[in-house]
Amino acid sequence: MNVLEIKNLTKKFGDFIAVDNMSLTVAEGEIFGFLGANGAGKSTTINMIAGLLRSNDGTISILGKNNAKQSRFAKMNIGMVPQDIAIYEDMTAYENVKFFAGLYGLRGAELNERVVEALEFVGLQDKHKSYPKSFSGGMKRRLNIACAIAHRPKLIIMDEPTVGIDPQSRNYILTSVRKLNEMGCTIIYTSHYMEEVEEICSKIAIIDHGKIIAEGTKEQLKSIITNTKDVWIEVKTTEKVNLAAIQDINGVEAVSVDENFIKINSDTGVNNLNKILEHFMNSHIEIRSLQEKAPNLETVFLTLTGRNLRDQ
Amino acid sequence: MNIINMAWKGIKTDFRDIRTLFFMLAFPIILMLVLGTALSNAFTTTLPIDDIDVLYKDTTDGAALQQFIQQADQSGIEFKKVTIHTDGKKEVKQGKYTGYVEVTEEGVELYVNSGDSIGGNILQGMLSSYVDKYNISSEIMKVAPDKLEQAFSGGKQTNFIKETSVNPTKQPGSMDYYAIVITSMIVLYGAMSSSSLIVGERVRKTADRLIASPVRKSEIFIGKVLGSLVSNSLCVLLVVLFSKLFFKANWGDHMGLVFLVLLAEVIFAVSLGIGVSFLAKTSAAPKVIIMLFVQLSSFFGGAYFKLENPEGIFKFITDLSPLTWINSALTKIIYANDFSAAIPALTINLVGAILFLLISIVSLQRREGL
Repeated sequence: MNVLEIKNLTKKFGDFIAVDNMSLTVAEGEIFGFLGANGAGKSTTINMIAGLLRSNDGTISILGKNNAKQSRFAKMNIGMVPQDIAIYEDMTAYENVKFFAGLYGLRGAELNERVVEALEFVGLQDKHKSYPKSFSGGMKRRLNIACAIAHRPKLIIMDEPTVGIDPQSRNYILTSVRKLNEMGCTIIYTSHYMEEVEEICSKIAIIDHGKIIAEGTKEQLKSIITNTKDVWIEVKTTEKVNLAAIQDINGVEAVSVDENFIKINSDTGVNNLNKILEHFMNSHIEIRSLQEKAPNLETVFLTLTGRNLRDQ
Repeated sequence: MNIINMAWKGIKTDFRDIRTLFFMLAFPIILMLVLGTALSNAFTTTLPIDDIDVLYKDTTDGAALQQFIQQADQSGIEFKKVTIHTDGKKEVKQGKYTGYVEVTEEGVELYVNSGDSIGGNILQGMLSSYVDKYNISSEIMKVAPDKLEQAFSGGKQTNFIKETSVNPTKQPGSMDYYAIVITSMIVLYGAMSSSSLIVGERVRKTADRLIASPVRKSEIFIGKVLGSLVSNSLCVLLVVLFSKLFFKANWGDHMGLVFLVLLAEVIFAVSLGIGVSFLAKTSAAPKVIIMLFVQLSSFFGGAYFKLENPEGIFKFITDLSPLTWINSALTKIIYANDFSAAIPALTINLVGAILFLLISIVSLQRREGL
């Protein structure tokens, strides 16, 4: 059964088309990754699914029911974890979860039970009487999640839930996402951290200019670029690196800079490593190391969009 | 139920916020105390008068003046005969004496210092009475001298001036006045907090979470307005009761009507705040606009000092302040039992509130999200 079904969805802001005739399905039990650079249409799509924005055209169905016609049903079954922490600083952790869960019709003992359950799930039960202003960034992120799951939604939308937090909290959240999935929740997950998406998502869609340009499991996506290979060259300084010149070398599909690494994606059928190294030698760029990498999701993204996700 | 949830959450957080509590409760009470005490002289209904010292020069040989001087002395007015070396008029000019009286065969001349107008007026009134009596005596002496004693048989005249107060107990003292105007001013300041009702959700990013929940925008809006109305009304109630119990401010015998007028102002203030927040383009602008509006309304509404009978353009400006109407209505209800005074105040506030609420509702419907 499809938890989410989008057909020919379009959203315009004036003359700008943010989402362009998009169609996709998310099946029950999936952790569906949304990858896209800033302005690609990812957040607009998520906001339309959550009912925050109205579409200009197309339909969104949640659990088989049209979102526009039965918005209450859709909202009852969606849990939204927004990218920005959306909690009240002047209410305790317990009161925050209780207030938001109360909006979903929960009352009395059932409400209290669900609040406790949500706080335990995110590991904040001990802090239930504390105000969020005393929380670390990671704890606030966890409370942000608790507010979205207390009503036990079937579909949870997580928009960049690990932005700006310590590795320990990030691991906790990623483990929580998996647990929620095991408990039967379908999850739509967006992140700028490609490795997170690769690690937890069972299906991924890459969005660019309001359109889905690739969709499938990570293996399916990687198979798109089996005819290319990655070479990472670590240099002392990237100041003298001329990306356009590297791009012009025969067989080079894409090139990007990530700190001191020059990441070059090349056609496997062309042996151009000598020419690439020659370019560095002629440009008097000191090479520190050279690695050949198997293609990963980042390579796929770079190849398909020509852009590096984290540099947007 | 969602409306009640929204309202209750608003009330709870309002009363938890120390800044809100200080501003809505402590600030008006302190202001009443400070202004009510410091400016009490401007509202006093009694005026103590010091002893009146008068210089006189009598060139006649009659005893009538001496009789008057003896009687005036009993009223605290001391007459001193001017010496040869003293210039009576100069002494009065220098403020050493309230007045200088010259009695000659031609008549009585009085010089008073305009700086002590009350003492001068009293002296003038007493002398007029004395002169009138003297003139009557002269006329009787001319036509029927034997009737003179009979004419003044009523005894010695000591009450030259009779003081009468008009409605002495129906005047607001300084604390009574400032209890009214500060309370109505602080109600209008309620617009500041209500301007954050929706904008605050946007700034905190909780607006998206509210819209993503199965709650209608209308429920969010009504719940928030209702919560703010209750919070502000409770604050006003506490301020009024505190001023009544501890400052002994006079709120009259018709507290129900007084609260009805204040409630209408609360509704106006909350609507004003939320309406301006929808009209302003930035999240910081509503507070600036409201602060300016409340300050001007307070100034021209007499919140800081009493404006006595404004005229012309000044009256037009004071009439633009909603506080003018509120304060006038409350004063008339409390001091004149004039219930009809509530009608313009209620009308202005409720019409204004409807206008701002309509602006908010239309803006909210047009927006995607809150």
